[in-house]
Amino acid sequence: MTPPPLEAARSRPGLRRRARVPALVWALPIYAFLLLFIVFPLWRLFVDAASTEDGRFTLSHIASFAGDSFYRRSLVNSLIVSAGTVVGCIVIGFLAAFLLVRYDFPGRSTFSYLTILPIIMPPLVGIMGLVFILGRAGTVNVILMDYFGLSKPINFIYGWHGVLLAMILHYFPLVTLNVLDGLGKVDASLEEAAEALGSRGLRKIRDITLPLVTPGFISGATLVFILAFADFATPLVVGMQDLIASQAYLNIVQYIDARLFKMGIVIGALMAMMAIVFLVIARRLVTLREYAVVSYRAVERKPLTGVARWLAPGFFVAVLTVAFLPYLGVTMAAFGKAWSLTPFPTRFTLSHLDQVIHLTPIFLINTIRWSAIAVAIILAVGVPMGWLLARSNLPGRGAMDSLVTLILALPGTAIGIAYIRAFHFPLPAVGLILSRMWVIMPLVLAVRRMPYTVRATYASMLSLHKSMEESAASVGASGLRTFFDITLPLIWRGVLAGALFSLMFALQEAAATILVFLPGWETMTIGIFTYYTSGTIGQAAALGFVLIILCALTLYGVYRLTGARMGGLFGSGGGS
Amino acid sequence: MQVRLADVVKRFKAVEAMAGVSLTIEEGEFFTLLGPSGCGKTTTLRVVAGFYDPDAGSVAFGDTLVNGIPPADRGIGIVFQNYALWPHMTVYENVAYGLKIKRVAQTEIARRVGAALEQVGLQGLGGRTPGQLSGGQQQRVAVARALVLNPRVLLLDEPLSNLDAKVRAKLRSEIRRLQQDLHITTIYVTHDQEEAMVLSDRIAVMDAGRVLQIGTPVDLYERPESLFVADFIGTNNLVAGTVVSVSDGAAQVKTSAGTLRGTVVGRVAAGAPAVVTVRPEILSIAEGRSDLDVTMRGRVAISQYMGNVIRYEVETGDAIVLLLDVHDPRRHHLMSPGTEVVVGFPAASALVFASGATA
Repeated sequence: MTPPPLEAARSRPGLRRRARVPALVWALPIYAFLLLFIVFPLWRLFVDAASTEDGRFTLSHIASFAGDSFYRRSLVNSLIVSAGTVVGCIVIGFLAAFLLVRYDFPGRSTFSYLTILPIIMPPLVGIMGLVFILGRAGTVNVILMDYFGLSKPINFIYGWHGVLLAMILHYFPLVTLNVLDGLGKVDASLEEAAEALGSRGLRKIRDITLPLVTPGFISGATLVFILAFADFATPLVVGMQDLIASQAYLNIVQYIDARLFKMGIVIGALMAMMAIVFLVIARRLVTLREYAVVSYRAVERKPLTGVARWLAPGFFVAVLTVAFLPYLGVTMAAFGKAWSLTPFPTRFTLSHLDQVIHLTPIFLINTIRWSAIAVAIILAVGVPMGWLLARSNLPGRGAMDSLVTLILALPGTAIGIAYIRAFHFPLPAVGLILSRMWVIMPLVLAVRRMPYTVRATYASMLSLHKSMEESAASVGASGLRTFFDITLPLIWRGVLAGALFSLMFALQEAAATILVFLPGWETMTIGIFTYYTSGTIGQAAALGFVLIILCALTLYGVYRLTGARMGGLFGSGGGS
Repeated sequence: MQVRLADVVKRFKAVEAMAGVSLTIEEGEFFTLLGPSGCGKTTTLRVVAGFYDPDAGSVAFGDTLVNGIPPADRGIGIVFQNYALWPHMTVYENVAYGLKIKRVAQTEIARRVGAALEQVGLQGLGGRTPGQLSGGQQQRVAVARALVLNPRVLLLDEPLSNLDAKVRAKLRSEIRRLQQDLHITTIYVTHDQEEAMVLSDRIAVMDAGRVLQIGTPVDLYERPESLFVADFIGTNNLVAGTVVSVSDGAAQVKTSAGTLRGTVVGRVAAGAPAVVTVRPEILSIAEGRSDLDVTMRGRVAISQYMGNVIRYEVETGDAIVLLLDVHDPRRHHLMSPGTEVVVGFPAASALVFASGATA
């Protein structure tokens, strides 16, 4: 064991002082981006809602909104539908998560994958598919009338109950994911300690388990509430107009009556405001109930016995069957030829698919184009942002963090309206009218879907101990070199998974883009909406089919990257 | 390489992690920063490393002021508490990385990495990834990585705290041997006073961002300059009371166990509160002894037989529990709990400190 000669003294280069670029300088472009594309449009939206055409302050629009009984009823309807969605999602979502984490039963691991799948179905496509199966002339009603002698179709979905059904089926996985995350973190000894003191069964769940997963509950439920509140496409497809989001959309896109247009802006501002208020409340509740995890040992899964052993898979089969009905409907309509008045298509064709892929590929091309550019923007802005949030102590970091969360909660409708208003005029200094440039499409997508990538980057950075980078710095690696040699190889999976989530939700976007697009910029969701509302069902279904395939492929990418721990982004652990 | 810190201040928001730290670490010295968590020892190490810039004061390596010079240009090697081995690189790549950055030739890299791995006893394991190694092995890789660039100063941040006791003791002596072979200036951070005593040439005891005392392990144990050091280093009996009189550097202190005497450290005044400290090995059973000029009556509460030592907890005065060690137990009759006993110590071996807020 002979030590090597001390070569340090002669091989050392001359000392140089560090010329430091303050982190603030790096962060400036990001601040500028956030200010220009989030803060400014929102501010514009609020100002517009409270000013006259020539820019004077007035509360008359807000007053006339509040004074209109139709709007008031719409608002109440929206609140009821959203609250109903939340309750439904919590019941189904919690039950699913609890069963998946705590019990073993036939098909458990398969169900744990399938449960998350409804997320890949854009709500617009979902409700359309549901209409094919459960609508007035849908499969179920045709069967009932042809074979069971029913004279009139049963109204399964037209009205608030249909909206509720579609929304709960689409959104319950969000609660499942959040609760899975929370349950996964409950240390076994916490529950064992309760049991040792005589607290068992439901009592233990109420006193110990539920309080521990409350943060997951609250964040999941808040998200669901805001999404349900802001969704206008789903209710419109089943003919429900007296909802606040639907009114916002209808008032904005009619472009004729200035008073109605203003009402649309007021509603948009109201929706944005509600998102902010809900977020503040949710945050307060969550921080109040955020518990430090001291140690961690997973609760062991109990095998279910007796009747319960079959009730659990039964529950999943029931929920998932209904949740997958839309897929069936969309697929049948996409390949069915002149399908009407029969339970299932009698002849099949590829012409609808051919139509949307070859003859009018504009929707597909635009969707891919806008989403790809959006993801590029997201990577360029979101990754540095995640890094700054995790590693720097920049002034305004808290505000940046809040903005990221706010975007997640802001209804697409509100952002769409805000963009229409804010970028309708030449931007100061550069004079560009963004609303007339195609770049506004990828921009609005990028802004809307950025949080997934930011959060994924942030989470990956947090799990990477700082000393990993410091030890590279201590042996001479520059900041950039460290980032590429050490940081990136260790976080790229997480970042890419986040980016793919951003991509998937960009593909699905059907609110902001419907409001800001100009002819020629149509995306697939816009195509579906226009085809469907103009009665060209086959093409609408074919587009929906292709969109589902795209989303499924993206999700598959996430699965592969995160080693099947799909919830990674929302927390963790798809129960597997 | 001598390392000097002069009046270094480092603040984090409102907290002063270093409140004017001055140290001189000599060439080739094994120097330990010791203190409870939050005392500023790791901050001090990171200031020396260059990860933090001090808010005030200077850091010098030899004659060169290194304030503002990045870690890599200071000629330091650092070992982190969590090892910080890059999981996506093999052991070899981890150690070689710094050489690669410096554009050392491949053959030279192979030679130096091989030598460094051999130095820490890991020859042949270069192809493994960190995940395939035990904690102790990971620690050795971290040491090899820190040494491969032939640093002038080796910095170790609680490098043994994540290991189990046996491995810790083994690595402890290996680190010391390596340091002596290389004769490299080493700064070691730990909260474990035993580890500090065993390893160090000199120790700086820190608390609340300040250095309380710098000295050899013997200095700190036998001649603590403050109550904090007397309490923190080794095991000690602390008996609180009121000073009755002071003369010729000795004080009489009235306590609930009687009036005790000891050598004054610092300044104490008659009538002021004070603490008398007596090490367990100084405290003895009075029976058959004539050299104990201070005695107390008590009762054995607990006896712990440890083979080479018997430790008694003796209750005396107003809820005072004294630890008393009997070495060479074979010549001693084990006393059971409840036994009435007279214990005592030579006044010259006890210390008296004024009891301030830190008592």
